[in-house]
Amino acid sequence: MNRRHFIKQLSVVTAVGLTLKTSLANAAFKVKQFTQRYVRPPGSLTEDDFISQCIRCNQCAEICPNNCIKFFGTENGIASHGTPYISPREKACILCMKCGDVCPSGAIQPIKRELTPIIEQVNMGIARVDKQLCLSWQGKSCGVCYRACPLQDKAIIVGFMEQPEILDACVGCGLCESSCIQIPQAVKIIPSHTIDQLRNS
Amino acid sequence: MMEKEFAPAGLSKQKPITASKPFALYRHLNKLRWLSLAVVFLMLILIPLLSIYQHYVAAQGYNHLSPSQTLLYDTMEFISAPFVDAPEHDLDAIKGTTWSGQLFGVKLSDPLAIVGQSAASLKLYWPLILTAVIPLLATLIFGRFFCGWICPATFIYELNSNLSVYLSRFGIKNNRRFHKNIKYLVLALGIGISAYTGTLAFASIYPPAVLGRELYFSIALSGFGGGTLFFILTLGFDTFVSRRGICRYFCPGGALYSLLGRYRVVRVKRLVEPCNDCNKCNAVCEFDLDPMRDNFGAECNNCTACISVCPKSAMSLTLSISDQPNQGPGHQSRQYRQQNSDHNETIQVKNIS
Repeated sequence: MNRRHFIKQLSVVTAVGLTLKTSLANAAFKVKQFTQRYVRPPGSLTEDDFISQCIRCNQCAEICPNNCIKFFGTENGIASHGTPYISPREKACILCMKCGDVCPSGAIQPIKRELTPIIEQVNMGIARVDKQLCLSWQGKSCGVCYRACPLQDKAIIVGFMEQPEILDACVGCGLCESSCIQIPQAVKIIPSHTIDQLRNS
Repeated sequence: MMEKEFAPAGLSKQKPITASKPFALYRHLNKLRWLSLAVVFLMLILIPLLSIYQHYVAAQGYNHLSPSQTLLYDTMEFISAPFVDAPEHDLDAIKGTTWSGQLFGVKLSDPLAIVGQSAASLKLYWPLILTAVIPLLATLIFGRFFCGWICPATFIYELNSNLSVYLSRFGIKNNRRFHKNIKYLVLALGIGISAYTGTLAFASIYPPAVLGRELYFSIALSGFGGGTLFFILTLGFDTFVSRRGICRYFCPGGALYSLLGRYRVVRVKRLVEPCNDCNKCNAVCEFDLDPMRDNFGAECNNCTACISVCPKSAMSLTLSISDQPNQGPGHQSRQYRQQNSDHNETIQVKNIS
């Protein structure tokens, strides 16, 4: 009788848990607010894998020579509490690939600091140019984003009047965005997790 | 007259006390432990400062630093210059906290981080597991030594328990007790929540991880995060509710280490011959154990405070995978002498009859 009672209770708890798993966990624990546009450090896994693999040890920020990695509080949902992010307009990644080497958890994968591995494996996002805001497209030759880009002529090309065009090889480091002299910036990084979500929805 | 002659005769049957004296330096292990705790805590402060120094070096902008930044730069250069040639790269050898870090190129992680990550991602990531091999082996040998010797939260909590001794003069008591197995429940719940939500729950509730992160945030980044509030709340719990309550009853890492150190090899042992049952070891024990009655259990973290406090040198370290059963009252205690003299009297009575 007692055991039967226990099993009954256990099944109820499991059923409630499974329903919560689908609703509550997705809703409350993984709130993806779009109020802040952020990218994960270079070599990161996809967003959900990153959150589950990262052990919140801060070593990526400690080793970053550019001091561009910051950490979430609870503003992006409880699930991503303490995970690293980069805000490209404030300070962008210089693709030194040190964080991947130091990361013990595999959330940031180690990638060689060479042109081909970076273009193939780093996927932080992709830059998009707003031609209404861009000085070059509005007739005042600028070209700052082209000069800031670490992957010149692979990820970005300039044409007449240094009008920038982003190619698919762009890894989303954000150096163009942080260097853009327009306010608001004419070139923006669309983070890869945002692209994934837009694709899924 | 007769009794006085019989009493030394009864004691002379035992082995002489000098035969089982502990190694004299065991008494000083507690000082070494405080040194170790202080060094770890200072490293947690120094590593973020070195990290800032590395940022300055990488930026190559010494002339643009403010006076306070210049002071930091010069101090860190003074500290690190004897050991490194190119600080921007060579100082990468020491990074991180006790949760997970690099010590002179060797990556080390807390076993709880592995448990949490495996539960959250539902797979084993071997490069991370390999970083926990050295702590794991040390835990299998020394038990919960992390809690007593390394944990930065222990440094604060143990100083705080000295403060609460002072506060108890003013009637502020912290003598509530809970069940010791609650921490295993916290560990199981943490694993469950991690697996359930796919995020590492331990990093936000495990005091040394929180403390290491908050120290880094406050020194190298913008300021204290939410974990500081959590840590202050745990300190308040320790001060006003239960002495060392977080470590004793709620810490998930302590639970894991207790499980791993169940069959630890190095143990504190009570020598029954010199012991006089003065209860000082029980009073000093931070983990509410009962060394005076040989009851250590999985919670003992070999902090050796009882060894250093014992006035009779009756505490020692030993190699054994289990605690010895209760040896009864110490041979120097009044209780033992009374029992022993009763025993002699019965023998005496028998002889007479």
